[in-house]
Amino acid sequence: MTVELLLQTIVNATYAASYMALIAVGLVLIFGVMGVINFAHGELYMAGAYTVVALYAGFGVSFFVAVAAGLVFVGVLGLIMEYALFRPLRDNPLGGLIASIGFLLILQTIAVLGFGVQMEHVPPATQEKIVFANGVVLTYQRAYVIVATVVLLGALWLFLRKSKFGWALRACAQDREAAQLQGMSINHTARLAMFIGAGLAGVAGALTAPLVSPTPYMGHSVIITAFIIIIVGGIGSLEGAVLAAILYAFVYTFVTTIYDGTLANIVGLLLMLIVLIVKPTGLFGAKERA
Amino acid sequence: MTKFAISALNRRQFLSTTAAATIMAGVSVPKFAFGADKVVKIGFLAPLTGAVAAWGKPGLDGCQIWADWVNEAGGIKIGEDSYKVEFVPYDDEYDPGKARTGAVKLIKEDGVQFIMMLGGDPWPGVFPVSQKENMLFSTLLPSDLSPETTRLVAPCEVHPIYNVTGVEWLAENKPDLKTAVICAQDDSLGKPSVATYLAAFEAAGIKVLGDPIFFDPATTDFAPIMSKMLAVKPDIICLDTCYADYVHPLTEQAFQQGFKGQMISCTADFYPKMIEKTSKEFMEGFIFQFPDFDDPKLNEPHVNFKRPNEFYAEFAKRFGADQWSAVSWEYASIMDLWSDAAQKAGTTDPGAVLKAMQEGGKGKQAFGEAVWWGKELFGIDNALVGVWPVVVIQDGKAKIQQFKSIPAWWDKHKALMIKHMEALKQMYYQRA
Repeated sequence: MTVELLLQTIVNATYAASYMALIAVGLVLIFGVMGVINFAHGELYMAGAYTVVALYAGFGVSFFVAVAAGLVFVGVLGLIMEYALFRPLRDNPLGGLIASIGFLLILQTIAVLGFGVQMEHVPPATQEKIVFANGVVLTYQRAYVIVATVVLLGALWLFLRKSKFGWALRACAQDREAAQLQGMSINHTARLAMFIGAGLAGVAGALTAPLVSPTPYMGHSVIITAFIIIIVGGIGSLEGAVLAAILYAFVYTFVTTIYDGTLANIVGLLLMLIVLIVKPTGLFGAKERA
Repeated sequence: MTKFAISALNRRQFLSTTAAATIMAGVSVPKFAFGADKVVKIGFLAPLTGAVAAWGKPGLDGCQIWADWVNEAGGIKIGEDSYKVEFVPYDDEYDPGKARTGAVKLIKEDGVQFIMMLGGDPWPGVFPVSQKENMLFSTLLPSDLSPETTRLVAPCEVHPIYNVTGVEWLAENKPDLKTAVICAQDDSLGKPSVATYLAAFEAAGIKVLGDPIFFDPATTDFAPIMSKMLAVKPDIICLDTCYADYVHPLTEQAFQQGFKGQMISCTADFYPKMIEKTSKEFMEGFIFQFPDFDDPKLNEPHVNFKRPNEFYAEFAKRFGADQWSAVSWEYASIMDLWSDAAQKAGTTDPGAVLKAMQEGGKGKQAFGEAVWWGKELFGIDNALVGVWPVVVIQDGKAKIQQFKSIPAWWDKHKALMIKHMEALKQMYYQRA
């Protein structure tokens, strides 16, 4: 591997780690606070991408406004899920999972009805790029994803650590009943977790829409990767999800570049298997939950 | 705040609304019906949703135009009767199990007389049905053919062997380009196409750098693949028969990572969007194999496809020019052949139509006279092979450069093709 290819691969892996982290952290937050495995998380990512398709590619709204709209719109979808699906099934985790699968199909169907089955083409917000030494390239479009991830996850960390609402979220994630006895509203924290978790998936989809070709089925591959990441990181651990996203993205990208993508998938699954054998709770385990 | 976003919708209403949306999705697949006494039904068993829908849905749209034109002209005269044509679509989602269910449904419930497929991964699911029901099927992918597939014909597209014409034209017109890299999705469409390009490059004296790069069809980030391809500094990047969902991001990545050389691909569906995402200058000279049918060269006398320019104009009017894909005309051209054969046979019986279609060993393929061929490559002469166009993007528009003969290339280089097909285990006697 040449130095140029090595550096380019690091840049590629950094981008991959960024959007994977956004998606995985949202999934972990929802699971941590609500105890629900949200299978529709990939479709929330898709919904974010289609917000950009509709507003930016369709109506010519500014890309960044469309991305912000994607965050809010998908956050609201999360609120709807919480109210209509997860709240009535709060004591039935399996029911929540099944309901999320149903919602996944509904979102796909709405996307098909609204936009058709074909892939959508979203022009990049800019074709500008940063050219590093040795000809290594990072496009602005990819840089947006990296910067947004750092900012959003940094803000989330501060929110969880420094704000009253954040403490409530963490308390509910640790022991829901004890939190309730302390006067915290379970409904309120659940809404907050769903809005933030879904919104992060939405913003990931919105930011990457010009980099992929959105289709109603784009959530499939993303959700599998997200599950691998949260299992490796430790289910319920935000820090673990970020670390695992970085680890997975670098392993996957390097194996793809040096060998091939099929082998990279196998290595990714092997990574999960090894972590499960060596440390069944994942890298950060249960102690570090949200 | 407690009733945020759903104040006007209770849970029951929400569920009933979404259930209705789901049901609507199930019935939203278009069905074409015509009021007529005598109707012949044709099955359209192809992916209409999912990643491969670009090679199904636009074909069904093209068939709709074909049927409208034929029916407006009074239908097809078969024997003493005139028949209107009705297409019965079934979305196989590019899945063998669903394709098998669809084939059974089309034959048993709908009573179709002929079934058109994209082929590829779904074909193994359908094969037993074709044998049991003696139904006539068509595929766009002759790599589905084997000595056992006696009821399967490839009368239009001879994928992947027509790809040799693009490489041959490239070598003749840009002899200074000497090295290439290839990537493809790791599936039944990508592998035989890779073997074909390897043979074509070798025949043209172009060196392929490294092994072909196969990627998982679930890949969404193509930057690492393109980085790997560019690392060997090739003159030519070959995108093989990648699906449109891959050709676009790969091309975009090549542009973003600073590639300045030649690109060649089997398809470039929706290429104006690729130009939009890259630049007109970058896409200049991009070689592929599927013309826009407003191309004046399609009016040359050897072309058998009826009214190609009008067909394209009608397609653009009904569905939008940006929806035109490689397959928009292909299923319609198969219907031309089927229609001629049914008229010749005087019946819609699948066996009689097949016999009439292959009579004399020759046929009118869309781009010219062709021969029923394939014994050495597929184990059966059920592919209709003749000339195929080489298309190049010039000033933002796809233009046919030349029609080149596939049999002529095969006669000179068949040993190379068989060598590479064997190496990738794609010969009919190697396939599972």
